[in-house]
Amino acid sequence: MSLRRRVLGWSAARPTRSGYALLAPGMIWLLLFFLAPIGLMLVYSVMKRGLYGGVEPGITLEHYRRFFDPLYLDILLRTILWSFVCTVLCLVIGYPVAYVVARAGRWRQWLLFLVVLPFWTSFLVRMFAMIFLLRDSGFINSVLLRAGLVHEPVALLYTPFAVMLGLVYGFLPLMILPIYASLEKLDVALLEAAEVLGATPRARFTRVIFPLSLPGVVAGSLLTFIPALGSFVTADLLGGAKQVMIGNLIQNQFTVARNWPFGSAAAFVLMGVVLVAVVGYLRRRDARELVG
Amino acid sequence: MANRATGELARREFVRRVIATGAGLATANLGLAGCGPKVAAGAGEDLGPIEKGLNLYLWSDYLADDTVPNFEKEFGVKVTVDTYESNEEMAAKLMAGASGYDLVLPSSYLFPVLFSKDLLAPLRRKYLTNWGNVAPLFLNPPWDPGNAHSVPWGWGTTGIAYRKDLVRERPDSWAVFFDERYRGKVTMLDDLRDVIGSFLRLRGRSLNSVDPAELAAAKQDALKAKPNLRAYVSAPVKAQLIAGDVWIAQMWSGDAQQAIAEQPAIEYLVPKEGGTIFSDALVMPRSAPHQRAAHEFLNYILRPPVAAAIADKTGYGTPNQAALPLTRAKVPYPTADELGRLEYQKDLGQGSEQWDRIWTEIKAA
Amino acid sequence: MNRRVPRWVVAAATVVYLFLHAPVVALVVFSFNDSKFSASWTGFTMEWYRRLLERDDILDGLRRSLVVGGIATVVATTFGTLLALALARHRMRGRQAVESLLYLPLVTPEIIVGISLLSLFVLAGIPLGLTSIVIAHIAFCISFVAVVVGARLKGMDEHLEEAAMMLGADEWAAFWKVTVPQLLPGIVAGALLAFTMSFDDYVITSFVSGSGSSTLPVVVYGMVRRNVEPSINAISTIIVVVTSLLIYLADRLQSARLAPAGR
Repeated sequence: MSLRRRVLGWSAARPTRSGYALLAPGMIWLLLFFLAPIGLMLVYSVMKRGLYGGVEPGITLEHYRRFFDPLYLDILLRTILWSFVCTVLCLVIGYPVAYVVARAGRWRQWLLFLVVLPFWTSFLVRMFAMIFLLRDSGFINSVLLRAGLVHEPVALLYTPFAVMLGLVYGFLPLMILPIYASLEKLDVALLEAAEVLGATPRARFTRVIFPLSLPGVVAGSLLTFIPALGSFVTADLLGGAKQVMIGNLIQNQFTVARNWPFGSAAAFVLMGVVLVAVVGYLRRRDARELVG
Repeated sequence: MANRATGELARREFVRRVIATGAGLATANLGLAGCGPKVAAGAGEDLGPIEKGLNLYLWSDYLADDTVPNFEKEFGVKVTVDTYESNEEMAAKLMAGASGYDLVLPSSYLFPVLFSKDLLAPLRRKYLTNWGNVAPLFLNPPWDPGNAHSVPWGWGTTGIAYRKDLVRERPDSWAVFFDERYRGKVTMLDDLRDVIGSFLRLRGRSLNSVDPAELAAAKQDALKAKPNLRAYVSAPVKAQLIAGDVWIAQMWSGDAQQAIAEQPAIEYLVPKEGGTIFSDALVMPRSAPHQRAAHEFLNYILRPPVAAAIADKTGYGTPNQAALPLTRAKVPYPTADELGRLEYQKDLGQGSEQWDRIWTEIKAA
Repeated sequence: MNRRVPRWVVAAATVVYLFLHAPVVALVVFSFNDSKFSASWTGFTMEWYRRLLERDDILDGLRRSLVVGGIATVVATTFGTLLALALARHRMRGRQAVESLLYLPLVTPEIIVGISLLSLFVLAGIPLGLTSIVIAHIAFCISFVAVVVGARLKGMDEHLEEAAMMLGADEWAAFWKVTVPQLLPGIVAGALLAFTMSFDDYVITSFVSGSGSSTLPVVVYGMVRRNVEPSINAISTIIVVVTSLLIYLADRLQSARLAPAGR
């Protein structure tokens, strides 16, 4: 038996039982404390609304029907667009950082730490720090005014710009970390080989580095896109609550409107959209990998 | 309120009897009629010795700095304070049953919700020796007849705070939010009840209206005001009003008083068309593990100096008439005339779906 | 190795680091500001740090957050790494289902996770408190760890392990001597992410916490919502300083240990 055959044979013959054993703790946890409660919510989404919160017995698809209304669909579409733009921005901004960190040698842990550091302070405190920077008498405007670049404070806070800034700020590490993880293990010998073979820096990036970092890019994009879809605090605090994202709508159903079934239904519509996007994304990438 | 189930009414009757027999204090103020002399089971019993612990579940920053430490020292009780940011969060915990909380602080409109699930324990008035300090205005509120389940904590209004150094005319009408001279310098609260409610008041309607035509008109007004608004923002606007980024803000009176303490150029008023008055009250869940300590705490906050310190810290008015002269702001109780312009929020019941849709339309516009 | 990184990329990364840290720097600076509403700089003060010592709720919250974050990180990192290994290295039926379940927590709005968990805990009679918070945090951290570790595993050279085994190492030794060291940066990144998510979570925690179990974000959210009291800035500053020191020490220890091996 050739060496290669033996290796392949060993790999295929690896007992799946141990695979399931590895899966078991995490999967059981997720089944019990994630899927079971979500199943409960799915049941809620087809039940009748309790006047004072909660649900009452009875089965109805009314809440799903209600969601398919131009008002709510518009909000959904707008949310998807915003999250997409946010993801692209995070990728463009985050990739160079991940690259630098992965190539930083002994400073690597330190730089990685600096990526995570701001996120150990409360998310809300950071949002308020943003408000402090952006508002009319805030840091940015006072610098601009003092430098004579503007004569009136520029409206930064409570604009769509501020919301996007806050979203990118909030999710950037979720993009950087996975890209870093896949770049870091990139074999330097490959790059040297490419260089020896005369590949330009540009070609080295597009033909070697980027394709190899693709798993990280995909993971990072999903980790950014998906929470962006469900976010609601940023639009409230930095956008002055003048726009609604789907997350605001859902949150509102549970907290103010006390309409759990409609909130659940809206959440499941959102999750449906996301699942379609995720599956589509992963399929496309797999296909591309096969072709490449 | 009128369409409460008969079971509810029976329970209320029960509650009245409890009060009539258990209290023996200030019954004249309670305005009770036709109370039977029967003693309700359980309500008159002693609660036993004071427990070692007490778990409070309150709106955040609702206590003066020394309220809890002084209580702990005096009564030898270890107090745990947890806070919440919305009535729903708190209600969800209470309905969950396994909360372990002894005293919570719901806003008045939540009482029907709590009563509908029978979550509140009746209070033993005999432990509340300071009950006489409560101003008559706050006795026997419609959401808790005879204060059988609640001790009033603070009250406030929704109105307009503005910078009198930056704004020429006193903005004493909700119509100020249409004024294009203030475009980008005005904010409204991020709260559907207060935004839609103020435009209902502007047209002389009740802020609890569920009439589709009235609500449609209020929605049009809100949409008309939206381009002028810098934002819908609640608590954080305080700092921006102080800094002068915002000139006119729809605000809760407590926040406004806190802002005035920092920046004297701020003034607060309730517009001539009227607005919301609200009142928070402490209640005890049926599942409360430390009921005697809870009563001692209730009696403690009814002491004038304690109530005054709380009012000074939060900026809200105190329902404790003996405490009023001791407070810094000395916010007077609303006069009969003012009361005519103020309304308590009620639970909207089935109408809440309509309100929510309108609010979403305003936000999404 | 720096030679390989073009200067403009380094410049771009520097700008991003500034962007990430500017708000935090503002926060640190204004933790010394002598105005309660931090509208503008009115003078230096240590008042907010002094007040911090009087606020038991903040210190208690911090302690609880560290305990919850610590336990949740260890458990979730273990479970998540095992999950990623199983998916990357084993053939099995139902892989699609497992992957879907793994991604689901990332898709679900936090508020849904919070409310649904609360309903479940009530239904199952699990008392609300630190235990229920830890359970919830582990549940949402597992997926993050598995995704990050999985990204590193994907395309990691499997042949190294196989080579080791053909050279006589058993599966266990191959795993610890070859797979884990190679995987470590992924595991560390996953653990960092898990701790961050747990330490920062407000929405889910607020729903599953009970009496006497408010974590730091729950305490801070309450303070922030009413009034940006600089004590929050002060506690944030302390957290930033302390964590920086801890990670620095960990880094020193690691390089000291690795140095003789000829790093």
